[in-house]
Amino acid sequence: MDVMTLRPRPTPPSAFRPPSFAGRLHDARTATAVGRWLGAAFAVCFVTGLVSHYLQHPPDWAAGRLPSRPVWGYRLTQGLHVATGLAAIVLLLVKLWTVYPRLFVWPPVRSWRHALERLSVAVLVAAALFQVLTGLLNIVEWYPWPFSFVPVHFAVAWIATGSILLHLAVKAPEIRAHWGRRSEGTLALPAEDVRDRRSLLLGTGAAVAAVTVTTVGQAFTPLKALDLLAPRHPDHGPQGLPVNRTAAAAGVSASGLAAWRLEVTGPRPYTLTLAALRAMPRAAARLPIACVEGWSVDAHWEGVPVRELVERAGGRPGRDGVRVVSMETAGAYRVTEMGADYAGDPLSLLALTLNGQVLSLDHGFPARIIVPNRPGVLQTKWVHRLEVL
Amino acid sequence: MRTAGTARYALGGLGVLLIGIGVRLVVAEPDPAGVLLWLAGALVLHDGILAPLVLAVGLLLVGRRHRGTLRGALVVAGGLVLVTLPLLVRPGEPPNPSALPLPYGRNLAIVLAVVAAGTTARVLVRRRRERAQRDDGDAEGAGGAGDGGAGGGRGDGDD
Repeated sequence: MDVMTLRPRPTPPSAFRPPSFAGRLHDARTATAVGRWLGAAFAVCFVTGLVSHYLQHPPDWAAGRLPSRPVWGYRLTQGLHVATGLAAIVLLLVKLWTVYPRLFVWPPVRSWRHALERLSVAVLVAAALFQVLTGLLNIVEWYPWPFSFVPVHFAVAWIATGSILLHLAVKAPEIRAHWGRRSEGTLALPAEDVRDRRSLLLGTGAAVAAVTVTTVGQAFTPLKALDLLAPRHPDHGPQGLPVNRTAAAAGVSASGLAAWRLEVTGPRPYTLTLAALRAMPRAAARLPIACVEGWSVDAHWEGVPVRELVERAGGRPGRDGVRVVSMETAGAYRVTEMGADYAGDPLSLLALTLNGQVLSLDHGFPARIIVPNRPGVLQTKWVHRLEVL
Repeated sequence: MRTAGTARYALGGLGVLLIGIGVRLVVAEPDPAGVLLWLAGALVLHDGILAPLVLAVGLLLVGRRHRGTLRGALVVAGGLVLVTLPLLVRPGEPPNPSALPLPYGRNLAIVLAVVAAGTTARVLVRRRRERAQRDDGDAEGAGGAGDGGAGGGRGDGDD
């Protein structure tokens, strides 16, 4: 807390002498200047993460009311989540570099209060590092840990966010004193550091820009030509569109589809052959596939509006939800449900074609769901049954 | 002052509440000890290895000319390498052909070459400007112009 104030420090016994830091910029102004960007980045990650979590696992009261608009909502929030998380890697490491000497304050613990504060900082640093590390490995689909990524990344997000709020509360006076260039604490720092600090902040900004520009094209397609280092590229995949789960991985094969029928249940259940489904009135929509892992691509889809299928089964479009069952043999998303808003949206399709071609097996042949503002994993492929709820 | 103090305690309290929610969620996991191990591991990996490594590299730059530019270049390169590293060292085949489809080693080399070229160009430009300033200064009898100027980033203080 008071590293900035000069006070005679007790000398540690020589055997335990902590390292001393003669370098500059390990000060509260630098920490504040980097920290506020880092705080903003974590805030964006937390909020966009919650959006995705509650879209995928809505509480019962909200399940039927999730909005199908804006069309690009999920694409934007998840693109932001991953882009901001990648930027946060740079910001976090620079921030930790700035405050690193405080790890070696002497005496290590002065009071209960000090001990608690140090513990809270340890929790904050561990949680923040954990989040960016697990997030980074998740987007390359590398899971070297003994736990399940999604619930743990979600759980530790609360710890990280809580520790940031606690940290802000503890450090509030110091942050206020170093907020601006002319703030009292800033002015008390050595004037010769000003240029050096600006240079460090510029370097940090350049690093954030470099990481962003070389990866954000996986979601922000106008920059796809610069997508050199992202785990996905909008143009790479069957029919020029990435997939997350291939037919082979889902246990779906062309031969297994020979007897395919679409079964629709509701007040007036019916069954359709592929030819009969194709003969129904079709609609087209330009909708993104957007993955929680941060990549997304717009595509042109054509198929039968879900609301038409619901209506034909005696359901009420806009008021009834739909359960969608895939032919995949196993997997957490074999059966998904969509609320009334999604099922009633005229853009929600049981799609048959992608960018003018019949769906490939990996994209869900013979028919797949494509709905606006929804996580990619809920855009169920290889659909063979719809249940009007 | 009192309201500021209250707001501060409220913020801290909210923070503790969120931490509590997170801890409860972690404890409800099948293997909370595994999570704890990874949390501690991240801390140790950073504080024990990554940070000392970065500080050691920083020592190499002490007293060098264009230290700020070089440091900026290293921060940029370091960020790019860290983000790409998992793509390069991830064991096993990608889960499907559209995941990790790019030649990441080659792309990283290209991007780092661009960073190196940009850094070199910047150092050369600054060197020329400094020389011009020195010549001007000799003519006018004034020292090197202090600070300010093009926002392109001064501040390569050679301390």
